[in-house]
This record gives sequence, structure tokens and C-alpha cells, in this order.
Amino acid sequence: MLKITEQAFIEDIAHNQSKSLTKEKFIRFLRFYLIPGWRDPEFASQEYEAEKIKSKRRMFRRLLKPLTITGFVMIIFILTLAVYAPWLTQYRLGEIISPYYPPGGNPFDDPSPEHPFGTTKYGYDILARLIWGSRTTLVMAAIPVTIAIGGGILLGTISAYFGGIFDYLMMRFVDLMYAFPNLILVIIIVPILGQALLTSLVIYGILFIPYNIRFMRSLVLQVKQLEFVQAAKTGGAQKFKVMFTHIVPNAISPILIAFFGGAAIAVLGLAGLAFIGIGDPTVASWGTDINWARASFSNFNAAVWPGLFIGIIAIGFMLIGDGLRDALDPRLNI
Amino acid sequence: MMVPMLFLVLTFAWILSHMMTVSPVTNRLSGLVEPEFIEAELQRIGYYDPWYIQLGAYYKNFFTGNWGNSYVIRDGEPVLSFVLEVFPRTLELMIIPIVISPIIAVKLGLSSATHKDKSRDISIRTIAIFGAGFPVFWIATLLQLFFGYYLDIFTYGKLDLPIMFINKPGLSAPVPDGAFSTGFRIIDSFIYNDQIFLWDTIAHLFIPALCLTFVSLASITRQTRSSMLDVLDQDYIRTARAKGVLEKDVINKHALRNALLPTSNLIIGGTATALLGSFFIEVTFAYKGFGYYMVNSIFAGDYLVINGLLVFATIILISGTLVADVMYTIIDPRITYN
Repeated sequence: MLKITEQAFIEDIAHNQSKSLTKEKFIRFLRFYLIPGWRDPEFASQEYEAEKIKSKRRMFRRLLKPLTITGFVMIIFILTLAVYAPWLTQYRLGEIISPYYPPGGNPFDDPSPEHPFGTTKYGYDILARLIWGSRTTLVMAAIPVTIAIGGGILLGTISAYFGGIFDYLMMRFVDLMYAFPNLILVIIIVPILGQALLTSLVIYGILFIPYNIRFMRSLVLQVKQLEFVQAAKTGGAQKFKVMFTHIVPNAISPILIAFFGGAAIAVLGLAGLAFIGIGDPTVASWGTDINWARASFSNFNAAVWPGLFIGIIAIGFMLIGDGLRDALDPRLNI
Repeated sequence: MMVPMLFLVLTFAWILSHMMTVSPVTNRLSGLVEPEFIEAELQRIGYYDPWYIQLGAYYKNFFTGNWGNSYVIRDGEPVLSFVLEVFPRTLELMIIPIVISPIIAVKLGLSSATHKDKSRDISIRTIAIFGAGFPVFWIATLLQLFFGYYLDIFTYGKLDLPIMFINKPGLSAPVPDGAFSTGFRIIDSFIYNDQIFLWDTIAHLFIPALCLTFVSLASITRQTRSSMLDVLDQDYIRTARAKGVLEKDVINKHALRNALLPTSNLIIGGTATALLGSFFIEVTFAYKGFGYYMVNSIFAGDYLVINGLLVFATIILISGTLVADVMYTIIDPRITYN
């Protein structure tokens, strides 16, 4: 008796539910046909998820082109050298940099079993300097660009957001820095402030901020006009909150892609600094190697390999940068 | 815009030479070590004046042509005449890549874009990315090693032109003492009709100019290719093709002219690139121009020469920007400057 009533009760509920479901479906159709632009929220969210996965896949497919993969392989090669440096060479870092001079070292010697690529100035091993130099070069790529782009994002956003006299002064300052040949300015300032590696990296980063200020300013000026920024302002958000949680995340992607191109330029520029002879003598730097090898003709390897490695890392960064830009903005092709 | 910019640049250069830790008189009065003399000289040149008086004196001396005297690089020579002697050599080196590389690079970028993803495109892109990625001083060093040491052509006494002339070592500029000189060696040898010096100069300029051309080629080729591909996707190109315009005319008249707008930015603004490239090239080849003396004076601490060279380089860059702005309005009439 009790069982039967229970079953009937459940059946009743199910019947009611199915009835309400058909009713809901009917209302949904009615809305779809009668209200212009109305979309089923449930279906829209499903469609949105599918599109998100699809566009992600599309982006990865665009990213995985032969040239970009080559770029990744190049950078991973240099990273491997940097991470596993102590295992890849029998020489410790202290044995191939300035305060230590190998006793009985034979400068610019030909390749031999102890020195696979021969030796460079003071009898340092070329291969060991190449492997340890990858660490220096990765630092050279990372720090200046981080400073340049970070400063550019900060000052460019503030300048574009506030406008007025502050913007005007900032733009005149940027114009002034554009008037100078940048790397030559670095070459003049570095000997004044000391040749330590970190000093030159920071100077390089600071002098390359103006380019990024102008770039970021143009990006922010585009985003600033959009509705959600107006909405955030109307909602009473603080100025810095509007700037750094609403505007910057929407304007930042082109300048983040510029990170890779900037890294390539920084590596080349700082290698040039070391080549001229203003580099830090107490680090294993490829530019310094080329500078040493320039004076000597006896060992060809001493000049070829460091430059080749600089080329590998610079081209790797460039290819990744090009690939990322292609993937995010397919209209541009380089 | 240019005049206030010049004042700003001068101020910045003045601050920079103040930052240098070199004492302004000790090197110059190298024979005298008595502190009274040094003190008196510092008093005389106004070392203890307030900064605005020093800055005013700096402006006044700059515009009256008194840029100070070099005391290490060239003993006692006025900086202005030194700069005017050095810079024509650098400009001579720069002008060849600035003129030649756009001509080659636009052609390369064009054929790379029209043969997209074919073997020609891939080889051109490879060359372009090699030029952009490898450091210019390394390419220069290798070329120097190759031609000068292994191939043994461009070394001292090797490249003579025996059919035309006798090989004369130790040539000097054909300008008689006290006569008018432009400072550009090629123009000078035309004026004074000295063919041997002309060919000697060209033979010396050959490899440095080759390196510079290769490097500036890379960026222009990449830019031309990208903007050309962008333009070839546009609707008006399809319209032109549908009209039945010859493919040659579609490429050369419809597409290339529009694709060159962003590229002209690089071509005209290539002064900075060439200046920087010539900096490293000159150091590599010991070519006695702007970069060579800049590095030497940095090492020697000759701050007046550094100051003069920097200001002059900046003036060249500013005038390059000005020329570029004017050229933009000619190339693209839609651009206006308020």
C-alpha cells in the first residue's frame, strides 16, 4: 500500500517535471523567435567553451610552425647548456674567468683532447667559456628587457591615462631620448658608472625604456576609450585600479610579444659592448671572446664559435617573437 | 621642434660630461702637479661657478664654435675641427649602405612575398634572419679573417691594380697644403683629379661597406615582405586582378606603392642603424672615423672629444628625423603635421 503510493508519487513528480520541461522548452523557443537577439544562456555558455578550446587549438596550430619550432629548439639548446653547465664541461667557472690565469696556459692553441675547440686568451678553454657564457647571456637577455618593458608599461600607462601636462612632458622626454643613438649612450655611460655586469644591464634597460613608453602609450590610448573602462570609472574605481586591473591586461599582449625581439636586440647590443672592451672582465661573455680573438689569427675557432652562439640565441628569440605575433595577430607576416 | 630639441640635447650632454669623473684640468696640465696651479686653472675655467653660469657658458661656447680642445687624442687640436675632419669619413662609409641596401632589400622582399613559401622565399628569409641575428662585428671579423688572412687578397700590398697604376704604399689625401678640402676623400680625389687615391679609397671601403649593407639589408627585407603580404590580401588587389590588370602592374603599381609606406619608415630612419653599425665596423677595421675615435676617447678619458662627437652624432640624427618627417608628407599626402 505504502509502496504503491510512493511509486505513484514519484511518477507524478516525473510527469510534472517532464511537463514543466516541455513548457520551458516552448517558452525558450517563443523567446528565441520573438525577442530579437536573444540567446539561450545555457547553449551560449556551451558554445563559448567550445569556441575557446577551438581558438586555443587554432593559436597553437598557428604557433607550431617550422620556423617557430626552430626558435624554440635554439632557446632550449642554450637553456640546456646553461642549466647543465657544470656537468657538460670539466672546467669550473673559476678556471675560465679573469682573476685566474691557468699556469702554463698556451693562448690561442689549436684543438687538442683537453681543449676540444682550442684555447683563447690566457689559455682559457673555448668550449668551457661557451658553455658557462650561456648563463651570462641568458641573464643579459632577461634583466634589461624586464627593466625596459616594466618601466615602459608603468610610465606609458600613467602618461596615457592622465594626459595633460604630465603626458606632454613625458613625450618631450621620450623625444629627447629618441634623438640620441641609444647604444652609443650606453657605451659612454657604462665606463662612468663602473663596468660590473649588473650596472651595464641596468643602464641598458633604463635607456631603452622610452621606446616602450611610446609603444605602451599608443596601446593604452586605444583601450582607454572602450566602454568597460568608462563603466569602471563610473562605478567609482580608483584611478590606479582602473589603470592596472582594467586597462593594462587588455593592452599588454603586443608589448609582451615585443619582449622576445627586445631580448634579441639586448643580447646583440651587450655583446657589442663587451666586444668594444667595456664589458665586465670577470664574467664569461661571448662578446669578450670575439674581442680577444680579433687580434689573433692562429685559432679560427676562437672567433667563430662565440659569434655563432650569439647568433643562435638572438635568432631563436627573434623566431619565437615572430611566431607569437603571427599566432596572436595573423594579419601581420614577417 | 628642432631648436628646443637641440637645447635639450646640449643640456643632456652637459650633464653627461659633468658625470664623468675625469678632472677637467689634470690631464691637460700633465706637467704641473702643484695644487696651486691646478687650483688656479680650475678658478680660471670657472669650475666653481654655479651650474646655471656653467650651462650658459656651455651654450655660448657651443654656438660660437668654441668646443674646447682635445688634450689626449690630438694634442691641443680644437674639437670642432677634429669632429669636422672625422665625421666625413663616417658619412662616406654610411652613405653607401644607406643608398644601396634599400634598392636591393625592396627587390628581395618583393620577390620573397610574391613567391611565398617557395624555395626562393625560404632562402631570402634565411639570409635576412642571418643578417638580423648575427652580430655585425662578428660578421666583420670573419670577413676580415677570411679576406685578409686566409684568402690573402685585401692585405697590405696585395690588392694592387697593376694594369692601371703602380701600387703606391702610404697614400695620403691629394689635397695640397692650405687648399680647400671637403673632408670626403672620394669627393676630394675627384676635385684634385687623383685616380690612384680614389681607387685606393674604394678598395679600403669595400669590405666595411659590404658588412654594413648586409646588416641593414636584413631589417628592410623583413619589413618589405611583411607589409607586401599584408597589402596583397587587400580587396583592391583582388579588384585589380579581376579587372584584368597585368600581374606585373598589380605588383609594381598597386601593391608595392602601398607596401612601401611602412618600409619607408625604416629606409629613411636607417640613419641611426647605419650610424650604430658603422660604430662597430669602424672599431673592427680600425677605420679612423667617428666610432673609432669615440671608443679611443672613452678609454683615454678625453671628455671634450666625447662630448663633441656625441653632440654632432645627435645633430645628424635629429636632421635625419626632420628629413624623414618631410619625406613622409611627400610620400603619403594623408599625413599632416600640426
